[in-house]
Amino acid sequence: MNVGVAHSEVNPNTRVMNSRGIWLAYIISVGVLHIVLLSIPFFSIPVVWTLTNVIHNLVMYLLLHTVKGTPFETPDQGKDRLLTHWEQIDYGTQCTSSRKFLSISPVVLYLLTSFYTKYDPAHFVINTASLLSVLLPKLPQFHGVRVFGINKY
Amino acid sequence: INHIVHNGGLYKRPFNEAFEETPMLVAVLTYVGYGVLTLFGYLRDFMRQWKIEKCQNATEREEQKDFVPLYQDFENFYNRNLYMRIRDSWNRPICSVPGAKVDMMERVSHDYNWTFTYTGRVIKDIINMGSYNYLGFAQNAGTCQEAAAKVLSQYGAGVCSTRQEMGNLDKHEELEKLVARFLGVESAMAYGMGFATNSMNIPALVGKGCLILSDELNHASLVLGARLSGATIRIFKHNNMQSLEKLLKDAIVHGQPRTRRPWKKILILVEGIYSMEGSIVRLPEVIALKKKYKSYLYLDEAHSIGALGPTGRGVVEYFGLNPEDVDVMMGTFTKSFGAAGGYIGGKKELIDYLRTYSHSAVYATSMSPPVVEQIITSMKCIMGEDGTTVGKARVQQLAENTRYFRRRLKEMGFIIYGNEDSPVVPLMLYMPAKIGAFGREMLKRNIGVVVVGFPATPIIESRARFCLSAAHTKEMLDTALKEINEVGDLLQLKYSRHRLVPLLDRPFDETTYEETED
Repeated sequence: MNVGVAHSEVNPNTRVMNSRGIWLAYIISVGVLHIVLLSIPFFSIPVVWTLTNVIHNLVMYLLLHTVKGTPFETPDQGKDRLLTHWEQIDYGTQCTSSRKFLSISPVVLYLLTSFYTKYDPAHFVINTASLLSVLLPKLPQFHGVRVFGINKY
Repeated sequence: INHIVHNGGLYKRPFNEAFEETPMLVAVLTYVGYGVLTLFGYLRDFMRQWKIEKCQNATEREEQKDFVPLYQDFENFYNRNLYMRIRDSWNRPICSVPGAKVDMMERVSHDYNWTFTYTGRVIKDIINMGSYNYLGFAQNAGTCQEAAAKVLSQYGAGVCSTRQEMGNLDKHEELEKLVARFLGVESAMAYGMGFATNSMNIPALVGKGCLILSDELNHASLVLGARLSGATIRIFKHNNMQSLEKLLKDAIVHGQPRTRRPWKKILILVEGIYSMEGSIVRLPEVIALKKKYKSYLYLDEAHSIGALGPTGRGVVEYFGLNPEDVDVMMGTFTKSFGAAGGYIGGKKELIDYLRTYSHSAVYATSMSPPVVEQIITSMKCIMGEDGTTVGKARVQQLAENTRYFRRRLKEMGFIIYGNEDSPVVPLMLYMPAKIGAFGREMLKRNIGVVVVGFPATPIIESRARFCLSAAHTKEMLDTALKEINEVGDLLQLKYSRHRLVPLLDRPFDETTYEETED
């Protein structure tokens, strides 16, 4: 696919989250996940919302903060090979609009979930733990930080 | 309505360029497509790892598994799960001269494109919409070929030396004088390889302490040359003059990053026609900016020389400007002249400097004599000096073909990027599956096209790129258009809502994130 390639965009992964329509696609996919979970008959509403929140945060953590590098070869000689996708967004510039969007959306989902679970304590603990696990890696202070050497190489 | 720029009389003709915005539904479906492909990719990798499916990829031997891994699995993910599945649309072996029609060797794959076998059949007379054959000089018969054959028997095939040692033939001098006359500059120098012309000469022109302002979508050779030079590189948005002016102002006001000293040189790198977008550079505005802020201009006319302008002299003639305004005019002989190599034209002092200090002149072999003769003959043909009007007819035929083809495609309802007059026509496909489908369907209908996808283009903007040629007759274009129409209906490619985004209203924001600021 590399026809006449290598313009000054060394890592196309950095621009994916800014492309047209991806925020909408993200919201739609969370909606689809929620509807699929709602259609399972033996889950109550609070359970469905907690499951949506937890699965969303789990998938976000896996895709943005676990998987490192790029699925294609880049001409930048592997500078981004050890960086997760979150760290690659906009070449590491903090607080850009996609980063803000991706930080706010788990919070919004958390607020909706707390409402629909009627602030039940057990659900609260699970949801808060899940939210923290996906919010902490997004802090600017955690850029490039690997706790206990997990996922370093 | 196409936005027609007049900009205070800088443009002597309307500048029609448009990039229609991606329809939102198409964008979302494209992401869904890539998501599904990624999921299936992970599934297949899982099956390969657990030996349910045979792994055709390169893997280490059993004894090497304990060492540091030799192959990076994840970087190859895209290659083995997406590219391999549609690999038959690229690297197709051809067995005739790639003119307007080409013969192709048929190949089949029994293991989903991991290996190919030739059936032995040759598919004849495929209409070639992929070669950069703008003026139709890719021929193996005719005056160019006879002249080149004579020179081959006289001078031999190669010079086996660099320009500075023993490789400077009288043919090279003749070629350089001819190129200088063709372009309207004082002097020119020719090199054996177009890529090497850019990557080896930009370091000779700029160095540390200089500033390079290069367009977003500049070619790999320009990017490599800029990086090799050691100058600071700042990128301005594609063809966006506000972005360029802002960068120029900031550079002159703030100077070099830490020391605040003035820059030694500011060089603007642009291309004549950008082959992936089909857009033409806004040369009058660039030259006005260059004069206002006293910087230098390097114009890479790889695709536009021979293809634009009433007599084929390139983008400078297309806009009716003075060639002396462009400091360094670079171009290649690969596209319109049917040969190989590149040239740089400019003032005599500049070219004399390059003859001594350019890496290509000192270390690279000079051009092969038959190739030089091909360029000389084709250039004389274009200029009309061989006594016929063949050259002029070809240039006009190319312009007519371009306008006709683009108009018909737009009427059919496809989204076409780029300028009205550029012979490079990108047709948007957007979805990953349509990349493979389009290439294969067109081959079934005997038309050869080039399709491009991510990561060469932004993730949602995969496209098929048609390169028009003066060798295409109207009947060929009509056949091609009919087939494209059919395939467009079959694959539902007619996305255009005829709501074109006027260029100047494209939001120019401050968000240019560069990777490093030196």
